[in-house]
Amino acid sequence: MLEEARAGMPSFVSDDLAAEPSLDPDEIRERMSGNLCRCAAYVNIVAAIDEAQSQ
Amino acid sequence: MRTFAYERAADVEDAVVAGSAAGTMYLAGGTNLVDLMKLGVARPERLVDVGRLPLSETEELPNGGLRIGATVRNSDLAAHAVVRRRYPVLARALLAGASGQVRNMATVAGNLLQRTRCSYFQDVSKPCNKREPGSGCPAREGEHRNLAILGYSESCVATHPSDMAVALAALDARVQTNARTLTLGELYRLPGAHPERDTVLEPGELITAIELDPPPAERQVYLKARDRASFAFALVSVAVIAAADGGVFRIALGGLAPVPWRARRAEEALVGGANFAEAVKAELSLATPLRDNAFKVPLARNLLVRALEVVSA
Repeated sequence: MLEEARAGMPSFVSDDLAAEPSLDPDEIRERMSGNLCRCAAYVNIVAAIDEAQSQ
Repeated sequence: MRTFAYERAADVEDAVVAGSAAGTMYLAGGTNLVDLMKLGVARPERLVDVGRLPLSETEELPNGGLRIGATVRNSDLAAHAVVRRRYPVLARALLAGASGQVRNMATVAGNLLQRTRCSYFQDVSKPCNKREPGSGCPAREGEHRNLAILGYSESCVATHPSDMAVALAALDARVQTNARTLTLGELYRLPGAHPERDTVLEPGELITAIELDPPPAERQVYLKARDRASFAFALVSVAVIAAADGGVFRIALGGLAPVPWRARRAEEALVGGANFAEAVKAELSLATPLRDNAFKVPLARNLLVRALEVVSA
């Protein structure tokens, strides 16, 4: 998911589809929605992804 | 367990020959067909895999349009630079559908040909005229909250589930098969007395590409109302494109009909000088809601008026 965002892939909640995406919590939730592991966007997972993207 | 044969098509010609045999279905991403096979709804004797045919390129045409290969993945099309920049209504509709993992598998031709998610269609213990012609339609009196208010028939009240196809309807997309070119409106058929046929495609006829004209304007919008914020089918969706010179709108509606619904009445009313509310009312005057889905009329009205305001702002 982080690689897709880094490659510039937009999501449904991206304001500007042509811009580089910036992964705020709404973006993380949308991108994790429907993930095969249905924990998807539980609060701690969103926080963990937010932490991981800055590493 | 039901057994079936599987073969991989070498090229389009090979696929069409193999796909024309009785009991044969094409397989590409499998995100809908495999589910339907597990449910016993689809019972092919043979699958011809067309997912690896060389139809996975998206290319710009000399006239400024776009040719999208049939097996381009939904995720790749949504991320394509030209689609994001010049056909945002299509990118947004693609991103509104399913989930990232499903979009990674699903092809654009498969998206067009996916079957309704009507719960009776997907339950082999229930009658369904689309699945078993002549068996009846329990949805008319039963669970039909998310079924059609436009274009349905006595025999079937199912809706077409695609988001992508709604954007393509507004874009006047053309569908190329091995045999001919169809507009999206020509591809899909209303159920009438034969809801078992969603499209006019003949046995073995294979979609090879989708073609788009040069983008009409920068002002394009896709809005979707659903029961939860993500990974849900549309209750109502709208695709609106405003021509650069203003005044001419192309409008398509999803979640309301057995086909992606091009709102010609509303378009004509707007050309004739009607305001947004009047034009939307003209279109929705065609609606005949069922017992439990009348809520879709005001939902569609409000969503479409909002979309028209957004593209006009």
